[in-house]
Amino acid sequence: MDLKKGQIVHLTTGGMTCTVIEELGRGGQGTVYKVDLGGKKMALKWYHIPPDEKFYKNLQKNVDAGAPSDAFIWPEFLTVRENGSYGYVMKLRPSGYYEFGQYLLARHQMKSLSAIFAAAMKICNGFKLLHRYGYSYQDLNDGNFFIRPDDGDVLICDNDNVYPQGEKSGIMGKARYMAPEIVAGGIPDKYSDRYSLTVLLFMLIYLNHPLEGARVAACPCMTEGNEKKFYGSEALFIYDRQNNTNLPVRGVHTNVIRRWPAFPKLLRETFMDQLSQEKLKNPTTRMVESMWENVIAKVRDTLVICPKCRQETFVEGSQTTGKCIECGAQFDITRRLVMGDRSMVLTPGTCLFIDMDNKPDIKVQTSSSGEMMLQNVSTSSWNVETPSGKIRQVNVNDCLPTRPGLKISFGTSIEGAPNAKAEVK
Amino acid sequence: MSLIDVESVPRRTMTLFFLADTSGSMSGNKIGALNDAITNIMPMISEISNTNPDAEIKVAALQFSSGTSWLYDEPKSASDFIWQDQSAGGLTSLGEACIQLEKVLHRDGFMKSASGSYAPVVILLSDGGATDDYDKGIEKLKLNNWFKAAIKIAIAIGDDCDKDELKKFTGNLEAVIEVHNIEALKQIIRIVAVTSSQIGSKSTSATDATKQDQVVEEIKNQIDNVDGANTAADPSQATDDYWD
Ligand SMILES: Nc1ncnc2c1ncn2[C@@H]1O[C@H](COP(=O)(O)OP(=O)(O)OP(=O)(O)O)[C@@H](O)[C@H]1O
Ligand SMILES: [Mg+2]
Ligand SMILES: [Zn+2]
Repeated sequence: MDLKKGQIVHLTTGGMTCTVIEELGRGGQGTVYKVDLGGKKMALKWYHIPPDEKFYKNLQKNVDAGAPSDAFIWPEFLTVRENGSYGYVMKLRPSGYYEFGQYLLARHQMKSLSAIFAAAMKICNGFKLLHRYGYSYQDLNDGNFFIRPDDGDVLICDNDNVYPQGEKSGIMGKARYMAPEIVAGGIPDKYSDRYSLTVLLFMLIYLNHPLEGARVAACPCMTEGNEKKFYGSEALFIYDRQNNTNLPVRGVHTNVIRRWPAFPKLLRETFMDQLSQEKLKNPTTRMVESMWENVIAKVRDTLVICPKCRQETFVEGSQTTGKCIECGAQFDITRRLVMGDRSMVLTPGTCLFIDMDNKPDIKVQTSSSGEMMLQNVSTSSWNVETPSGKIRQVNVNDCLPTRPGLKISFGTSIEGAPNAKAEVK
Repeated sequence: MSLIDVESVPRRTMTLFFLADTSGSMSGNKIGALNDAITNIMPMISEISNTNPDAEIKVAALQFSSGTSWLYDEPKSASDFIWQDQSAGGLTSLGEACIQLEKVLHRDGFMKSASGSYAPVVILLSDGGATDDYDKGIEKLKLNNWFKAAIKIAIAIGDDCDKDELKKFTGNLEAVIEVHNIEALKQIIRIVAVTSSQIGSKSTSATDATKQDQVVEEIKNQIDNVDGANTAADPSQATDDYWD
């Protein structure tokens, strides 16, 4: 039953109610209304046909547990069963975010490479926390993500199918995003989530489906049988190391053909590993999300501003000279900030991300004398030790020179990396 | 061109076929409702196509009466397709319609999309029985691989329909939807077209059910809210015909 404007809906939390303001949209399973909850505007998803008791109980559990991170538009309140159905209340989606599919169709475009990798980081972080909470998402696909093009901020929607790892929600997923073992009839779990995550990351970064190359393009009719073959039993990565029969086709798979060689080797290697026949066939060996976060952090360490054209470019981290992917200019990349196994390339204008929260912690500036400086754009002061053993404090917004041998102790200035240390090399 | 600039991902084409009976018995309200309904759903189909990264939807339509004719000689993208109002008159050449559909269901016919296709959706609308050699037509059509893979739904308009013929077309009675009044006809055309256009781009709860079965299942869920519509597999739900 549809709800009417002004109708009062009762929540399971302490006699609370919300009032229907207007309809926002209709989906396959339910209608979403804008509601007023104690003066706050929220969204209410109201099911057309109420799902079973198990689903209701699971929703209540998820409401009680709370969202794994602020990336999730999570069920915050559950309604009582009334008017022939039930629903849940979540935050309204803010404006300025577009569905992932809009980017795939090039109706919207990410504003920068750093925004693309910020989005990748946020998605990985969200699923890391979701899995850490003991959930599996089960239905990861392009319809669940909303991205802000300016900075790559991500909102993950449709969280009503989130179930404890190993438990069956009844949903299998969406074609082209389902792991091969699910296409073959398996039950979605965190391992199949990880496959879907890899597909989404690949599509976000290269704008092409990772299994759709020559072999798939040559199939005139994607029947259900062929779908089971190309996305299931015979799934083959377009850049498989051993088998080159499914390479992207010039004139068809244009985006990936341009970006694959221009983007870092580490990304290529990681995708070739994660989409190898071995990983496709052995779900439990797929890389966990925190490893993805590390890969994205390292990729971002080589994303710099070109000193010549001022556009973003990747540089191969091990080299001493970088070549701009946009203007072709060559420039020096010997100066680094080294932290554990990470080596952050320094060029003027580049932002450095120490932890995974997508907020820059250091900005590379140029002093009036033309020397490269590291500006503290984190939340509190750092201690810097000179090669001779002297300690200096660098307050927020202050700079230090990029002299080899300077050691930085970040202390509590970076939330996601307490007591991190780095050295200028 | 900067590496930040990209083009749309390649999409496969899904062609939505309407096979519309325009024989004499359709005259009056029935043909009016059919014209009205197909015109009205085009913006919806276009919206589904425009927001769908998996498939681009194209539309083709064949009218059959004493003869048959395609509205356009190739499938048109949903946003370009313009339905031309049909008038009713003549016989019911359903057999010939099958032959004509078979002719275009080839790679050198209507199925020549550069980035490949999904299996098509075929919606057959009829209110009577064939007046030509239906068996010859349907037997030929059933050998066509595109047709075999297609999602096939028939809308049986009124009690005079030959449901066995329609069952032969769709493969089962579940996929034959009976409508018994004007409002039901309009609503069912919308439900069938929208549901089948969305099926590939939605999460599924079963990987063993065929897409046709999934479409039928969704239609069944919605049919309860429509007065005067039922699947031919469930005739107990049928209401009396009312077409004035
Ligand atoms: N939190 C929200 N804030 C604002 N609008 C929303 C919110 N959640 C959903 N909507 C809108 O409501 C509509 C229905 O959402 P919903 O997710 O139920 O639909 P769907 O994804 O199309 O279908 P399904 O129910 O099959 O997942 C969509 O158009 C969506 O844009
Ligand atoms: Mg949804
Ligand atoms: Zn440059």
